[in-house]
Amino acid sequence: MNLRRILAVSYKEWREIVRDRLFLSLAFVVPSALMLIFGYGLTLDVEHIPFAVVDHDKSAASRDYLHRYIDSRYFDYRGELASEREIEPLLADSRIRLAIVIPPRFGERLAQGRAVAVQTLIDGTFPFRTSSSQGYVVAINAAYNTEQLSRYIAARLGVPPATAQAMAQPVTVEMRYMFNQAIRSTWSIASVLVMFVLMITPPFLTALGVVREKENGSIYNIYASTVTRGEFLIGKLTPYVGISLLNFLILWLFATRLFGAPFKGDPLFFALASTVFVVCTTGIGLLVSLLVRTQVAAMMLTVVVTIVPSVLYSGLLVPIASMDPMGQFEAHLFPAMYYADIVLGSFLKGVGLDVLWGKVLALAIYAFVLWTASFLLFNKRPKA
Amino acid sequence: MMTPNERMTSRLGLWLWRFWAMTLKELIQLGRDGLLVFAIAYLFLFDTYMAGNVGMNLNNAVVVVHDADQSAASRELIYRFQPPYFKQGGEVADVRTGQRLLDTGGALVVLDIPPRFEHDLLTGRPTAVQVQVDAANTVLGFLAASYSSQIIGQYGFDQALARLGQSASALENVPIVQSEHRVWYNPNQKDAWFMPLSELLVVITIMSIMLPAAAAVREKERGTIEQLLVTPLSSLQILLPKVVAMTLVILLGTAASLGLVLHGAFDFPMKGSLTLFFTVTALYAFTTAGLGLYIATIARNLAQAALLAILVLMPMIFLSGAWTPPEAMPAGLRQAMYLSPLYHFIEMGYGILLKGAGLEVLWDSLLGLTLLGAGIFGFGVHRFRRQFG
Repeated sequence: MNLRRILAVSYKEWREIVRDRLFLSLAFVVPSALMLIFGYGLTLDVEHIPFAVVDHDKSAASRDYLHRYIDSRYFDYRGELASEREIEPLLADSRIRLAIVIPPRFGERLAQGRAVAVQTLIDGTFPFRTSSSQGYVVAINAAYNTEQLSRYIAARLGVPPATAQAMAQPVTVEMRYMFNQAIRSTWSIASVLVMFVLMITPPFLTALGVVREKENGSIYNIYASTVTRGEFLIGKLTPYVGISLLNFLILWLFATRLFGAPFKGDPLFFALASTVFVVCTTGIGLLVSLLVRTQVAAMMLTVVVTIVPSVLYSGLLVPIASMDPMGQFEAHLFPAMYYADIVLGSFLKGVGLDVLWGKVLALAIYAFVLWTASFLLFNKRPKA
Repeated sequence: MMTPNERMTSRLGLWLWRFWAMTLKELIQLGRDGLLVFAIAYLFLFDTYMAGNVGMNLNNAVVVVHDADQSAASRELIYRFQPPYFKQGGEVADVRTGQRLLDTGGALVVLDIPPRFEHDLLTGRPTAVQVQVDAANTVLGFLAASYSSQIIGQYGFDQALARLGQSASALENVPIVQSEHRVWYNPNQKDAWFMPLSELLVVITIMSIMLPAAAAVREKERGTIEQLLVTPLSSLQILLPKVVAMTLVILLGTAASLGLVLHGAFDFPMKGSLTLFFTVTALYAFTTAGLGLYIATIARNLAQAALLAILVLMPMIFLSGAWTPPEAMPAGLRQAMYLSPLYHFIEMGYGILLKGAGLEVLWDSLLGLTLLGAGIFGFGVHRFRRQFG
């Protein structure tokens, strides 16, 4: 290893980047743009679910019951239908996601002190939306039933309303959300987005680096020079690691200053762990670059190893704990998952090296394997 | 001497012949790049398959209990936290141990039952159960909180009825509303019927922008575009075959993915017309390629093209409802979704395949897709011809 030769290769690469003005600006614009778009738009708080009702009863009781849905911010009332037959085309066209059908004699049965069944039809296309909507329906219905029951108890046992209320709801729930008190998606998502963007952009910066020199033939300058393969790889990647670290700083500022995500952890630990991650993701691009023969293949292969795993297998949208064994296995193959734990731990939970050392170690091993594989794949004496 | 009519047919024949030769050239070029073919096959087959193993449902979330009462009543409540949503994670001696488990991810929910829980229930004094949920991952936190309150609420409701001397079978005689749910199109809420198709539609989008962009920029970067420009080919004959060839690849991949992964592995119900679905896919892939062509006019090399493609693709996928439900979008962005061609494509994809809807229902989505697509494609072609015309 000769430091001067590494610096020479780095300087040459840096000049190339700086002279490609569009590339240089995109290297900073893309991460920031992704952070802003996703940060503002990516929420999982399902609200305003469009729904319609079929009211066969049209009594004061049925209107009172339905108004609990109509007035809720979780649902958007789209009008009353004459019969069940009108529901299907609306669901098929996604104009509504849910329909509530009140049976005839709804109010009469309740007044007689008998139970009545109300049917809810739900569009099951997107299972997460379905379970959220179902949760809202159950909660609204339960609140209605508690009122009904306390009124029934008051009438039957002749106790005052307050006692009846307590009897109708003997157990209350005190829900406490740890780490994210307001259960605001923006907080947890802004922090996880740091991971998401750092997973996608560095590999795209580096993936075309070596293969471009191969396609253009400029790699022969390296083959003919005294630069060793280790020096070449390190020198070539240093500018990109630098760019990505700068991007990391920008993203961190976005998350904490713009989106107001709390940062409870140790900044030094987080910065070091992030450096390991960036070395890891640039290494992914490097390995792709050495595997392929053409830049087009490098581009598509980078899509395969970055975009998809960072969305699906990092815990950004889908919790890893709730995946099938097969999905969990795949999640463990990509570094995104480990870094997501580090990000969440540092931002929201305020835990440090003592809890997260395993994840950092996993990233370090990952980076080591990637760089070793790249080193072995790169050969200054190409066959044929 | 040829008659004018014959000259016309021979000119058309020549046009088609050149067109076909160029399309074939693109396909051969793609086919010879083994790793590129591998990446495409991986995205269409393996990636969609893997997406089927990923779900946004609460699945075996670990519940840890701090039971300060140790009574029959508290045990009955704990017992109600059952799979598929929950999994018992055992008892902890104090609340702090439970919180440490939340910290390290060892538990998602800590249930804290107060002392004298049973005693309060029997004497009719109100009591409160504390639930702590790890909400760092919002999806899980939200669902875990929602299901826990449902379970505890139902438990309290049952206790209240029991004290009135009513058993569950005599519910008929209490004036309450029983909420019955029927889930349509995907009755068991299988994520495997949602994620793979949405992943497939995303993959189609990625391909239809990146492949034509790469095919065009490559010629620019290597200088072979100059060779093509001095041939008798018109600029349309240079760019259209690229789009057509990539659309053919995409249709082939889609067919393989539908047949092998969605139908073969996940038993996805293909309710609607496959002809309609493939027609829409072809229209979508062809028109979205306009964005790829536009990128090709801006970028001078593939590194620029790749970053530009990401810049275009990410918002487009994000605003489509493939990853998050459209109902979860902030108000301003919900209007912007209509501008994403993928939004209309996803509506149609699920409409046709899962809901069995036909054109009489989906005509407005098709209209949106056609108008957007025509605009995008026209713009891309216009820019391309101005640069290489």
